[in-house]
Amino acid sequence: MKQEIPFTFDGVPMTGRVGDTVASALHAAGVMKLSSSIKRHRPRGFYCAIGNCSSCHMIVDGKSNVKTCVTPLRAGMKVETQTGKGVVR
Amino acid sequence: MKSEIVIVGAGISGTAIAYNLAIRGMKDIVVVDQGYLTAGSTGRCGAGVRQQWQTMANCTMAKKSIEFFEHAAETLHYDEDIEFKQEGYLILACTAAEVEQFQKNVALQNSLGIPSKVVSKEEALKIVPHLNPDAFISATYCRTDGHLNPFKMTDAYYQAGKKLGVTYLFGERVERIDVEQGRIQRVVTDKRTIETARVVDAAGGYAKEVGELAGVRIPVYAERHEILVTEPIEKMQGPMVMSFSQNLYCQQVPHGAFIMGRTTPNEPHGHDLSSSWQFLDAMAKTVCKFLPKVGELHAIRQWAGSYCMSPDRQPILGPTDQLEGFYLACGFSGHGFMFAPMTGVLLAEMILGLPTTLPVEDLLIDRFKKQTTTVYEKSVV
Repeated sequence: MKQEIPFTFDGVPMTGRVGDTVASALHAAGVMKLSSSIKRHRPRGFYCAIGNCSSCHMIVDGKSNVKTCVTPLRAGMKVETQTGKGVVR
Repeated sequence: MKSEIVIVGAGISGTAIAYNLAIRGMKDIVVVDQGYLTAGSTGRCGAGVRQQWQTMANCTMAKKSIEFFEHAAETLHYDEDIEFKQEGYLILACTAAEVEQFQKNVALQNSLGIPSKVVSKEEALKIVPHLNPDAFISATYCRTDGHLNPFKMTDAYYQAGKKLGVTYLFGERVERIDVEQGRIQRVVTDKRTIETARVVDAAGGYAKEVGELAGVRIPVYAERHEILVTEPIEKMQGPMVMSFSQNLYCQQVPHGAFIMGRTTPNEPHGHDLSSSWQFLDAMAKTVCKFLPKVGELHAIRQWAGSYCMSPDRQPILGPTDQLEGFYLACGFSGHGFMFAPMTGVLLAEMILGLPTTLPVEDLLIDRFKKQTTTVYEKSVV
């Protein structure tokens, strides 16, 4: 059996597998909404999967606008839903 | 087809001139563009508007133009938002020479009624907190400088002109301007012939070539300038941040994206509009030195446009003794967008033989004949 990787999504503990990106782990766990459109706040999901489309922008370990579809999942990551355009800390 | 005047170029200058002629009563105005509205330099520009210049002509053109932008939508009866954001320009002094020069610039600007001021490093950091304090000495700030949407502003002039009867021909390339016995007879495009005695050259990067069609020599050249834009982010910067000596301008637009540009040294003259990795590399390094937090953002797109460079970096406006009926609106050297409201007014006044709102001696092409001319605009990126 593949090794499991623990992380949290909006504070809820979840697990992914070795080789997952953040977005693929969320997708496998049934999370379909990753972000919202900027103007009308409509749901945005897993789309281009190659880091181009911005549909999967989330806050990862406090950093806004992370392209979760091309970000490898690491143990202990804190993944959060981003509202708005994000901020630079 | 017959017309009173043919304006070549449907960018901000051509649309502003057409509107100003029409509102003063001229009929049968035709604007020809080889592309579409804003297809040339207007749609590619940084769209900042500032009054912090070093020459009197540029200062007064800019001041009057900003006064127009403040009420542009009402004046032109435009229903949409031109997105005018007036949060100033912060111009960084990075060398002792700049500190000294900027004091003179501010004195000139203040004498013309422009509310610019010299600010200390500490004051500058209050205006833009994420500036790198080690990258500059002091700055100048003018709170009424700003930024607006070049597509919306041009559309406002275009719509207002159309309502007054201006004809626009898009996707038509001017191929000939026929001159007989020293007078313009007609403009021939790839689709039609337009009988006319007057032509305005507002062709941006192609102004020199359009002049040549009529046998008019204009001392300008086209030069590629590149820009990039980042992903949008919540608002973190009010004013445009600019440095002449360090070759940088960087602004956050209302949508949230940062738009930034710099001049590529030794750029060859010509119409190349490709994007280069060298610009991306140099731009990223420059902006990270001055505004390190901006370095955290993803660049999402880059593009290029033409500057129409004049010998003294000031516009070339009005008639020329080389050919009766031929008028120039070119040589803006990267600043045609911000001067356009006055370009439109002054060209219309000169074409119609009216007194001009501003003195135009420093802007006529004849100035280059005088050996005594020493005015030169150095406040450019």
